[in-house]
Amino acid sequence: MLPSEKKSLIRFLIIYLSSTLLLFALSSWIFYTSSLQNIISNQQNRLKIESKHLLSKLRVLHQSNAPILYYPNSSEYKSAIYDKNKNYIFGTLNAPLQENLADRYITHIEKVEPYYLGAAYLMLRSKVDYSPIIELKKRVLLFMLLAIVVFGVLGYFLGRLFIKPMRDSIERLNSFIQDTTHELNTPISTILTNIELIETFDTNYQNKDELKRITIASKTLSRIYDDLSYLSLNHNYHRDIQRIDISALLFQRVEYVQAMANLKNITITTDIEQNIHIDIDKNDATRMIDNLLSNAIKYNKTGGDIKVSLQNKTLTIQDSGIGIAKDKLHIIKARFQRANSTEGGFGIGLDIVNQIVEFYGYGMSIESIEKIGTTIKVRLK
Amino acid sequence: MRRLLIPILICGYINANDMLEYKCISCHKAQKIPSQMIYKKYLLRYSTKEDIAKAIKSYLKSPKAQNSIMPKPFFDKFPTKEPTTLEDAELEMLINLYIDRYDVVKRLRVKQ
Repeated sequence: MLPSEKKSLIRFLIIYLSSTLLLFALSSWIFYTSSLQNIISNQQNRLKIESKHLLSKLRVLHQSNAPILYYPNSSEYKSAIYDKNKNYIFGTLNAPLQENLADRYITHIEKVEPYYLGAAYLMLRSKVDYSPIIELKKRVLLFMLLAIVVFGVLGYFLGRLFIKPMRDSIERLNSFIQDTTHELNTPISTILTNIELIETFDTNYQNKDELKRITIASKTLSRIYDDLSYLSLNHNYHRDIQRIDISALLFQRVEYVQAMANLKNITITTDIEQNIHIDIDKNDATRMIDNLLSNAIKYNKTGGDIKVSLQNKTLTIQDSGIGIAKDKLHIIKARFQRANSTEGGFGIGLDIVNQIVEFYGYGMSIESIEKIGTTIKVRLK
Repeated sequence: MRRLLIPILICGYINANDMLEYKCISCHKAQKIPSQMIYKKYLLRYSTKEDIAKAIKSYLKSPKAQNSIMPKPFFDKFPTKEPTTLEDAELEMLINLYIDRYDVVKRLRVKQ
């Protein structure tokens, strides 16, 4: 799965699941509160029925002439009787006449008429039976969990279905790039090999501007080919990470782009600390340096200058080019973004640099002032 | 002083109970008037001891069948008594003793 596809799928799942779960949570909450009310109401009704039984027992007691009258006692509830002024008379519950004590108790007050044993009120109180409430909570929780699983799976498949057209487009684009780069490989290699042959055997080479321009154009083409291959492989190729002399490589790449710089009369000055070694795949390091240098040349003015420095493992490339507008600075690293459209290119250079920087955990900062120039710093490890 | 007070109070209570026995219950017993049942009737209608006392006092001052707690057929069997000649204080004391004597709450227990 492509990273962009994964990102879209995750975003879709987050929105889909959160909205679905919100709806389920709301309906579950409504169901829970109404069921809870039912449970409490049932327990209250049970207490009401008990109060009727108790009332008939009070009537029997009132009629009895026995020297000792046993007040009814129950393990399920406590009760007490009160006179018409709501004063406590007797009971298993020693509390004032009060409707609601706390959430964990259920109270029922029954008016007594006539006043058996002088009682005008009969109060019954029992603890809330939490077992059905716990059972209800379990059921709601299970339902929510089941909903998460079912809708998670459903959302995943729906998401994949929705992003399929996007995936197909990306795959088509990728295969197009792969095919194109593959087709470009042979002619570019032929051109570069022949130029090398001319360089070797033709003594007048240095004086032929046409040949120099062909060399530069071929190198540019070769770099674009490399960049496209790098992106089309989606960086899943095997990286041969080893300790390389980045100072030497930097010198080499500066030399490589020198001809391109000369064409625009750009002066490249270097301040490269010797013998700096870092662990990196050589191809990645080349891609990173080439793209930074090529951008510095491409977006520079004719007769401008570029300062390349490598000090304390910090690679700095400063140009005197067109600069980047402040509002574009934060998006410039993304693929297909260019500083402006006056220069050609695909806008993939900084995207490749950024991906390499992120892969190796380097730090990168871009400072730019429009029409003054841009400074890019990469902190190597 | 305390040694003297307790026997005096006990004697006073015994005397008061004797007075209740002498001035009320003895007559009820002789005429087989069910005192306990009458009290229960009062309790059933008035709930509080204060209201029961007031109702009994009112009846004893003017003892007519229509003022009584008891149903009319009761007076076919038992004669209506004469209005009381007792002083209010004494009457109230005797009524309270009567209520206390037949108080059901005193007989109530919780079965363990």
